[in-house]
Amino acid sequence: MTQHAEPAVTTPPAPGPKETDGRTSRRPLALRLMARPEVGVFLGAVAVYVFFLVAAPPVRDGAAMANILYQSSTIGIMALPVALLMIGGEFDLSSGVAVITSALTASMLSYQLTTNVWVGVIVALLVSLSIGFVNGWMVVRTGLPSFLITLGTFLILQGVNLAVTKLVTENVATDDISNMDGFSQAKKVFASSFDVGGVQVKITIVYWLVFAAIATWVLLRTKYGNWIFAVGGNKDSARAVGVPVTFTKISLFMLVGFGAWFIGMHQLFTFNTVQSGEGVGQELIYISAAVIGGCLLTGGAGSAIGPVFGAFMFGMVQQGIVYAGWNPDWFKAFLGVMLLGAVLINLWVSRQATRR
Amino acid sequence: MTDTDTQAGDAPIVSLKAVGKSYGNVRALHGVSLDVLPGRVTCVLGDNGAGKSTLIKIVSGLHQHTEGEYEIDGEPVHLSTPREALDKGIATVYQDLATVPLMPVWRNFFLGSEVTKGPWPVRRLDIAGMKKTADEELRNMGIVLDDLDQPIGTLSGGQRQSVAIARAVYFGARVLILDEPTAALGVKQSGVVLKYIAAARDRGLGVIFITHNPHHAYMVGDHFTVLRLGTLEMSAARSEVSLEELTNHMAGGAELAALKHELAQVRGVDVEELPELEDLGESAGKSAAEPAADSKAS
Amino acid sequence: MERKTRTRKATAITAACAAALLLAAGCSSSSGGKQSEASSSTGSTGKATTARMTIALVTHQAPGDTFWDIVRKGAEAAAAKDNVKLIYSADPNAGNQSNLVQNAIDQKVDGIAITLAKPDALKDVVAKATAANIPVVGLNSGVSEWQKLGLMEFFGQDETVAGEALGKRLNEAGAKKAVCVIQEQGNIGLTQRCDGVKKTFTGTTEVLNVNGTDMPSVKSTITAKLTQDKAIDYVVTLGASYALTATQSVTDAGSKAKVATFDLNKDLTSAISKGTVEFAVDQQPYLQGYLAIDSLWLYKSNGNYMGGGEQAVLTGPAFVDKTNVDKVAAFAAKGTR
Repeated sequence: MTQHAEPAVTTPPAPGPKETDGRTSRRPLALRLMARPEVGVFLGAVAVYVFFLVAAPPVRDGAAMANILYQSSTIGIMALPVALLMIGGEFDLSSGVAVITSALTASMLSYQLTTNVWVGVIVALLVSLSIGFVNGWMVVRTGLPSFLITLGTFLILQGVNLAVTKLVTENVATDDISNMDGFSQAKKVFASSFDVGGVQVKITIVYWLVFAAIATWVLLRTKYGNWIFAVGGNKDSARAVGVPVTFTKISLFMLVGFGAWFIGMHQLFTFNTVQSGEGVGQELIYISAAVIGGCLLTGGAGSAIGPVFGAFMFGMVQQGIVYAGWNPDWFKAFLGVMLLGAVLINLWVSRQATRR
Repeated sequence: MTDTDTQAGDAPIVSLKAVGKSYGNVRALHGVSLDVLPGRVTCVLGDNGAGKSTLIKIVSGLHQHTEGEYEIDGEPVHLSTPREALDKGIATVYQDLATVPLMPVWRNFFLGSEVTKGPWPVRRLDIAGMKKTADEELRNMGIVLDDLDQPIGTLSGGQRQSVAIARAVYFGARVLILDEPTAALGVKQSGVVLKYIAAARDRGLGVIFITHNPHHAYMVGDHFTVLRLGTLEMSAARSEVSLEELTNHMAGGAELAALKHELAQVRGVDVEELPELEDLGESAGKSAAEPAADSKAS
Repeated sequence: MERKTRTRKATAITAACAAALLLAAGCSSSSGGKQSEASSSTGSTGKATTARMTIALVTHQAPGDTFWDIVRKGAEAAAAKDNVKLIYSADPNAGNQSNLVQNAIDQKVDGIAITLAKPDALKDVVAKATAANIPVVGLNSGVSEWQKLGLMEFFGQDETVAGEALGKRLNEAGAKKAVCVIQEQGNIGLTQRCDGVKKTFTGTTEVLNVNGTDMPSVKSTITAKLTQDKAIDYVVTLGASYALTATQSVTDAGSKAKVATFDLNKDLTSAISKGTVEFAVDQQPYLQGYLAIDSLWLYKSNGNYMGGGEQAVLTGPAFVDKTNVDKVAAFAAKGTR
C-alpha cells in the first residue's frame, strides 16, 4: 500500500444536512402550479367552457352538460391508455378501428354461434388484448417506429373489419343481438344511464372518471408508472438499469386494447348493431386529446389528468358549436380553430409560469 | 497481467482472463486480462476503436465474450443481460445512457429499484422515503441539490454523472464501471467527477475507469491498462509507470518516435520533444515480457 | 429454474383456455342468434346459356356503406343469373374512380356500369371506353348528364330527385322545420339528397354535420341539435343506421321530433312498424345494380337497350311507411332491400 504514489484526489467531506446549493429560489406556489401541464389544459378547458356558456345558451342546461360529458367520455376513455402509451414513447394508430373490431367480434360471435352474449364479450376482450400484444411485440421486436407498425395494423384491421363482416353476415353491418341471452345484463354494465336530479347521466362518464383516477394513481404512485416514464424518456437508460422495457411497452399496447374493448362493448350495447366501416379517424382524436392534455409527442412526459381535460375540450367544442347554432358548413373549421385556441392558451399559461 | 501490488487476501471481484470477442469475422477484442479489486481504481485507456467499449459491454453484461474466462468472485460466468450483472453487484455508468432526462432526480435515482410500501393491489411508491434516501446518499457523495424534483436533465453533465455514481454506490455495487465519464465535460466538471470516483473507491468499491485522457486516469488510478487495436498493449501498476510514460503510450508515442526523422523534415515540428524509440521500447518491452506470477507484497 | 416456471405458466394458461372453451360451448342463447334466423329461401338461380362475359361495375361507394352494398348485391344477383363475371370496384374520390374505369377498359371487359357522381371527372374515360367499343351504362347518379356523356342507358334516379320526393312528403306531413343529418361532410350523394329536400320542402331545412365514423358522437350531436333548436319537428337522416341512432337522440333530448330517412335495412323496417321512424325513402338500390348488369347482358347477347337512348329508367323513389312496411320487411331481412 505504501509503495504506490498517493492518488491526487481524495473523498470530499460530506456536507451537513441543512446545507443547500443556494442558487435556486422557491417560486411562489401559484406559479409552480401553473407550470404543470395539467393546469394549463385545465385552464384551457375552463376558457372553452366559459366561452360556450356565453355563446351558446342551451349549454347552461344540465341535460346539455350531460350530453357534452357523454361525448367527452367516449373519447376520454380511449384517450387515457393512448396517453399512457404516448408517455411510454409509442403511438397506436390502430386504436380507432380496434374499437370496431372488438364490437364486431362480440356481435358476430354471439350471433353466429347463438351463444350467450357474454361469451362474445369475453372473446372480444381476448381478441382486443391480442391485437395490443401483437402491436407491442412487433414494435419491440423490430425496433421500427410504432407509427409505422400500427399504421399497418390500422390498415389491416380496417380491411378485416369490412371483409370479415361481409363474409360472415353478408352485409356491411352486424345482425341485431338485442333479443339474445345476456344482452340486457351487458347493456346494464356497458351502456346504461342513471338519473341525477332529473338529468339522465350515461354510465360511461362514471367509468371515464374512475379509469382516469386509476391511471393517475398508477402513473404517479407505482413502480410501473415510473417505468412508463423511463421507457418513454430514454429506453436505453431504462434497460441499462434493469427496467423491463419489453414488458412495459407490450403491456401499454395491451392497455390500449383493453380500452378499445370497453368502448367497443359500449357501442355494441348502445346501438345493437355495428357498422363495419366505422372507427376510421378516431385514433387521431384520441391522440389529440392526449397531446392537448400535455403528453409529449416524443414521450417521457405527460399525465393522465391532462387528457381528461383534453377529451372534455374536444367534446365541449364539438357539441358547443352545435349548441351555438353556427353555420354547419364551417363545422370542421370551427373545431380546428377552437382546438388551436385552447392549445395556445395552454402553452401561454405554462410559458408564463416558467418565465417568471 | 495481474496487479503487482495485491494485498494478501484481497481477491479480485471481477477477473478477466484472456477474454476476447468476435463479431462474425471481426475480432474486436482478444487476449485481454484484467483484475478488479475492492478499493482500487483500474483505468482502462486507449484511443477510439481500441476496444474499450467492447470490453466494458462484456463486463457489464450487455454482450457475451467469445474467448477466455470472465470470473466473478472466482466463479466463471456468462452474463446474458445487464440485469444479471447488476444482481451480482456490477454497476455500469454509461457516458450517454446514465439517466432519463425528463424524470426528476429522485425517480432517476431509484429507477429499476423503486421502493414500495403497502400490500398488493395498493402497493405504492414510498415517495417520501425515496426522496429522503436520495438526498442523504447524494450528500454523502458531496452533491447538494436544492430540489430533488427537478428533471435530471436540468443538472450539469458532471452532476448527472455524479448522481449516477451515487446511485450505483447506494445500490450495493461492488464494482463500478465508468464509461468515459469525463469525455464530454469541462475541466471543472471533470474534477467533480474524479472526486466522486475517489469517494466510491474509498467506500470499498472496485472501480473500472475507462478514459482516453491519461491525466484524468493518473489522478485516481491504481492500475493502468492500455488497449490498442483490440488487445493489451500495457498493463502496469501506479508504482511502475509515470504520468509521462503513460501519456506517451496513449499519444501513440511509439509511432511518433518511429516517424521522428520524417517529421523532422516538416517545418514547425519540434522533434526534440518526441521520445526516442529506444526509450519507449524499454517500458513497452518490460510490460509485455514480465511473467504473470511476479508479485510484490507491499 | 426459469424454464420450470415457464412450463408451469404455459400449462396453467392452456388449462385456463381449455376450461374457457368448454364453458363457452355450454353458454348458448335461448333466443335470437343465427339458430332463430328464418331460413331464407334462396331462389334457385337458373343460369343463362350465353357465353361468359365480364362486366365492370365502378361506383363511388365509400367503404362499408350500406346503400351501395345493396346495389352490389343486386348486381351480383344479375351476374349470377346471366353467367357474367362481375368486377366490382369503387372509390369515393372521382379521380380514383376514373382510374378504376380505365383499369376496366385495360382488362377489355365486355361492358361497364358506372355512377356519375362527378360527371366531368368521368367524361374522358367514358369516351375512351366508347372508342374501345365497350358499352357503358349509368346508374344512381347523373340522371341529367348521362346522355351528354354518351352513355347508352341509365337506371335509378338521382339523389337529388329522391331528396325532392322526401321534401314533398314532409310538406304532406305538415312539417315546419327539418334537420338533414349528413354523416360525411363533402360526400356528393349525401349533399345532393339534402339539397333536394331543401328545394321542395316549404319549411326550413337545416343541415347538421356529424362524425359518421363514431356513432356515440352522432348520437350526441343530434341530441345537441334537438336541444338547441326546439322548433325542429323532423330529423332526416341519410342512412338507415343513422335513423336508428336518431331515434335514441330524440328520446335523450326529450324532443317530439319525428324521424325519417333514406334507405332501408332490416332493423329499420321493424322501427317503422313500431312507429319510431315515420317513413323511409327506398330508391331500390338492389334494382339499380341488377338492371345495370342485366341491361348490359341483354345488349351484348341480343342488342336490346332500354329507354331508347332518351329516357332514364327510374327505379324509385318509393316510400316505405307503416302502411306497406310488412311487404318489404321480409326482403329487408335478407339484406336486399
